[in-house]
Amino acid sequence: MSETANDVDGNGESVAPSVYVGQFAQLLEQGGTLAMQLLTDEEYVHYALAEGKRFQDSFEIIALLKRSFETFTKLNAQRMASYCGFEMAREYFAVNEFSNAKQHFDSIASLYRKEGWVTLLWEVLGYLQECSRRLGAVKDFVEYSLEMAALPVSSIGSVQSLSFKECGPAVPASLSQREIIHKEVFELVRGESGLTSNEGNNDLKVTGDQPLHLEIDLVSPLRVVLLASVAFHEQIVKPGAPTLITLSLLSQLPCAVEIDQLEIQFNQSVCNFTIVNGQRPQLDATSNGQPGHRVETAPALMLSTNKWLRLTYDIKSDQSGKLECISVIARLGPYFTICCRAESPASMNDLPLWKFEDRVETLPTKDPSLAFSGQKATQIEELEPQVDLKLGASGPALVGESFVLPVTISAKGHAVHSGELKINLVDTRGGGLLSPREVEPSFTDNPYVELLCVSGLECEDDSQIGTDDIRKIQHSFGLISVPFLNDGDSWSCKLEIRWHRPKPVLLYVSLGYSPHSSELSAQKIHVHKSLEIEGKNAVVFSHQCMLPFRRDPLLLSKIKMGQDSDQVLSLPLNETSILIVSAKNSTELPLQLLAIFIEVDDNDIGKSCTVRHGGEDHSDLALLMPGEEFKKVFSVIPEVNIPKLKMGTVCLRWRRDTGPKGQPSSSATASEVLTKYRLPDINVELSPLVVNLECPPQAILGNPFTYFLRIQNQTHLLQEIKFSLADSQSFVLSGPHNDTIFVLPKSEQILGYKLVPLASGSQQLPRVTVTSVRYSAGYQPPVSATTIFVFPSKPHFEMANMGMSRESIATE
Amino acid sequence: MIVCVAVVGHQNNPVYIQSFTEADDALKLHHIVHCSLDVVDERVNNPKKSGPTLNETFLGLLYPTENYKVRFHSAYVDAVSNPFHVPGKKITSRTFAERVSNIVKSFGLSSAG
Repeated sequence: MSETANDVDGNGESVAPSVYVGQFAQLLEQGGTLAMQLLTDEEYVHYALAEGKRFQDSFEIIALLKRSFETFTKLNAQRMASYCGFEMAREYFAVNEFSNAKQHFDSIASLYRKEGWVTLLWEVLGYLQECSRRLGAVKDFVEYSLEMAALPVSSIGSVQSLSFKECGPAVPASLSQREIIHKEVFELVRGESGLTSNEGNNDLKVTGDQPLHLEIDLVSPLRVVLLASVAFHEQIVKPGAPTLITLSLLSQLPCAVEIDQLEIQFNQSVCNFTIVNGQRPQLDATSNGQPGHRVETAPALMLSTNKWLRLTYDIKSDQSGKLECISVIARLGPYFTICCRAESPASMNDLPLWKFEDRVETLPTKDPSLAFSGQKATQIEELEPQVDLKLGASGPALVGESFVLPVTISAKGHAVHSGELKINLVDTRGGGLLSPREVEPSFTDNPYVELLCVSGLECEDDSQIGTDDIRKIQHSFGLISVPFLNDGDSWSCKLEIRWHRPKPVLLYVSLGYSPHSSELSAQKIHVHKSLEIEGKNAVVFSHQCMLPFRRDPLLLSKIKMGQDSDQVLSLPLNETSILIVSAKNSTELPLQLLAIFIEVDDNDIGKSCTVRHGGEDHSDLALLMPGEEFKKVFSVIPEVNIPKLKMGTVCLRWRRDTGPKGQPSSSATASEVLTKYRLPDINVELSPLVVNLECPPQAILGNPFTYFLRIQNQTHLLQEIKFSLADSQSFVLSGPHNDTIFVLPKSEQILGYKLVPLASGSQQLPRVTVTSVRYSAGYQPPVSATTIFVFPSKPHFEMANMGMSRESIATE
Repeated sequence: MIVCVAVVGHQNNPVYIQSFTEADDALKLHHIVHCSLDVVDERVNNPKKSGPTLNETFLGLLYPTENYKVRFHSAYVDAVSNPFHVPGKKITSRTFAERVSNIVKSFGLSSAG
């Protein structure tokens, strides 16, 4: 670069702007002729710089360098750009514009630090040192000087000790030079010498009125000057139990440094303590005036180059939580302090710049395991709780009921101050703790399990239930305050939880309290209890539709679809069908059934029926044992012919059986629950043909009776019916055995048979088969419909008036 | 002639740097080497598509004889093969320094001649 610059230099006078704007050319003499040769950009730049230098116009040079800087930055050539910045800074320095120079030198220094170019960094720090001195910035001067003193520059090694023609204010880098700088800066900070600045002739000194304080954080380049590693020997400690802490200091300064005092600071400031150097005179101004402040004396606090100074002390804390060492403040002389952030040995970063050197690396602690895993923080455990928290469990919870769970707190050793009870309901399938913040929106609208309320009972003093109690209840979270309890007292409350769906749930109850009233913000002790509660469906419903006795309406859909039970149930229009609803107790607890009825939908036209209670007598209330099934018979008469008729909803009112009736009234009777079961929609069909069997319920041996078969044609069409009758050995039959009959539209045909029983007992009537030719459908009455009881002789009964026999069929 | 030999580590740190000039501008050479890393970066980040230059490890001006490249490289390999050498840190081997200066001297003689 410098060579080409020289080339243009010599012919500088022959450079002239050309005809074209922005392009310069050089006038060359070739032979006798003159020719214009266009200059390349590079040549032009060098020409311009040389011209600038020739005229000694620093600001021109600076402007050119700035343009170069911008260009190189755009080209992403950071280092070239930095070099331009360096040259700019030197120009500023040359014209005594120290603050501008310092600004530029600072940014270049950070690049050299990052990339580890020590000689270049030394050069720049030299300039920075001088700028700070001229500006009277004592703190900056001290920082740059310390950094230079701690740079990994030595007279042997790969970097030659070079005598520089022009290396700026700093003399060539060497170990001896570092030592000189070290001595100079320490004389300054101890107030033994002054810093001559630009402004006036006053020496800038570090004094009691103007003390100097440096902060070294985790990314500071001054970490090489002082590094503080802190390790607790134990990661978990009981409150009040002592443990050991090792503080290790390291410095790369070339000469030994004597520390007057070290102050160790923690997040719990009561644990702060000071270590004074036994060999230095006591500095009254520096010792902490607080009477309770702990002071230790170390026999010596001498920090040698690259050698850890290890100090171990015991430490304890009564406050539970994290105990962390924040920083170490070293006092060097009466007016100079360095505050170093504490670092954990396990996570210590490399030393900047020294990490590229072949230096001897030692461990901060003697114990290698502590060096690898030591942390600057430890956890102080909570005090052992001396309060009992009990959750009373009363079996599984049933869907729909308000499940009551008593919670009892008994103080056994501690008094309970500022007690708070936190209740959490959590999904057992690892759904996470459902705190108010984390609940999904869908869940809040339709919670599966809900905490309804917390009711307090058995308070020692009723007046303590005040308005300042915290009571916050949400779906899955509750927070209530617990009144003050003396040692030996107890308090209880009841949680009411409702399950909307069968789901197992984990109930977490935690009590947080303070054993002492004075330390309001101090440690809280926590007791936790959890309980898994299963939520179950109490009752399983099912239903069944049956035809009435000895009457069969033909349903065409049944023939077409076959016997698929998945199909929508079809019922005949204006005919009575029997609906049997059964409720099975699917729990392990007995249930008291209170009522069962069918709720009909509002816009339903085909009504079903209600059921009457089993009398007023409560003893007749069904107690359904586990596994038992309760059946109720209803009759359904669809009165409108529509494809989808809603039958309604079966409602069952029940409650958990609380045991024998001798229970005291204070124990809450279980709440009533209404469980609903939606009946499926039915398909209504007009039945074309209805077959009826009419027969007396019993007969007497030898006495004839009449057996009618009635076929109703409900259509407008003529229906052809084939029928056949099979003989039975128990009867003598008179009537047609086989025939084909025609039934007129909207009328009926009756077949009558005279039968004489020949045998007594329960007999089967002759089986009749009726076939509709048009629909290819046949009908055979079931065995139960064709059974008749034959008395051997006319029975004589003493008929008492039993009133209306209980029939469970009622029609409306 | 060779005025400076430098070995730069992965983090752009100088592992070995030696200048061979009589003049007192060694510091300037340090600056030049540092700035030349920009060119290296550019070459590394934007590799040319053409084959021969893909693995080009020498990025400076070309000279007729190239065997010094091999000699420098073998000297470097020997230095880092030292079991006591920590990769990334400075090379402090005197043997390496001697070999480098011998290569430079022999190169200077051959180019002058």
